[in-house]
Amino acid sequence: MRGVWRLTGAAAIVVIAWAGAAKADTISYADAITVLAKDCGADIKKLCKGLNLGNNRIADCLAQNAGKVSPTCTSTLASVAASIQKREQAQTTYSKVCATDMARRCNGVVGDGYILACLAKKQKTISAQCNQTISDAGWR
Amino acid sequence: MISRKIALAGFTAALLLPALALAQQVSEQRIINGLGKLQGAAPIVDVELLRQEAMNGSGKQMSGLPNWSKVARLPQMVVEIDFANDSVAIEPESYRTLGMIADALHHPNLWAYKFLVVGHTSSTGTDQHNLDLSQQRADAIKEILSTTFAVDPSRLYAVGVGEYFPIEGSKSEAANNRRVQLYNLGVFTRKP
Repeated sequence: MRGVWRLTGAAAIVVIAWAGAAKADTISYADAITVLAKDCGADIKKLCKGLNLGNNRIADCLAQNAGKVSPTCTSTLASVAASIQKREQAQTTYSKVCATDMARRCNGVVGDGYILACLAKKQKTISAQCNQTISDAGWR
Repeated sequence: MISRKIALAGFTAALLLPALALAQQVSEQRIINGLGKLQGAAPIVDVELLRQEAMNGSGKQMSGLPNWSKVARLPQMVVEIDFANDSVAIEPESYRTLGMIADALHHPNLWAYKFLVVGHTSSTGTDQHNLDLSQQRADAIKEILSTTFAVDPSRLYAVGVGEYFPIEGSKSEAANNRRVQLYNLGVFTRKP
C-alpha cells in the first residue's frame, strides 16, 4: 500500500467492512484528495494547523486526534482508500497486462503515450483485461 | 521519446484564477498537454546552478540569467497553490490541484519525464526570507508529490526563487503568494 492510502491509517480499519462492500470504481488522486479536502478540511484546519500532506503528517495528525475527527471525515478516508488502491494497482500492472495487445496491435508504435493512444483507439480489438486496466488506471 | 504534438492554447491564462475557480479550470488533461509538448531534447539544466543564480540574481529578470534562460524555453505550466501566510502549509482548498498534478505525472504521456518545481513568494519580507520560504514551499510540493501521491522523487527537482521572477501575465498582487511553476526537464533516465 503506498501513497495517499497510508493516510487512512487506523481510520481505515474502522470502516473497512463498509468500504469493502461498496463496489469501488477507481478514482483519481485529484478526486480522492478533493473528497478528502471537502470532508476533512475543517478537521485539518482545526486539528492539524500548519501541517502539510507530505510524509503522512496529515494522516498521522488525524489519527492522533481520532476522537475529535468528524465521523464523515473518518469514513471518507476509508472509502476513498479502496478505489485509489485499485487505480494504483491498474497503473502498476498496465504494462504487463497489456503487453500482448501492445505487441499484437500496436507493434512499431514508439513512446508510452502513443502506445496508450493506439490501444485506446483499438479498444474493440484488444483484450478485456487490458481494456479494464486502462479504464481502471484512469487513462480514458 | 514521447513528445505529443497537442495544440495547446492559453493554459497559463486559465490558471490565474482564484483557488476554487481554479479547481475547475486546471484539469489533468491540461497539465498533460501543457507539460508534454517538449519538442526535441531538453537542454541540460543544473538545479544547483539555478539555485545559485536565483540567490545571486537579485533584481534581474529570469531571461537575463544564463541557466534560467534555458529553463524558460522548456514546456511549463503555472499553477496556484494556496499556502497559509508565511508558511509552507498548503490549504486544503489546493489539495485538488496537487492531486491533478500527480495524476498527470502518473500518465504514460508524462511518466518518462522529470520535472522542476519552482516556488515563488510575495515581495513582503526580506529577500533572504522569501528565498528560503519559496525553497521550502517548492520542497513541500516535491515531498507531497513523492510521498502522498507516489511520484518517484528522483523525477522531481525543487527550487525557490523568492520574489525575483514575476510570471508574465499574472496579477502580481493576487497571485504572487501562491504561484508554483512546473517545468518539463526532459527524459528521465533512471540511475543504473
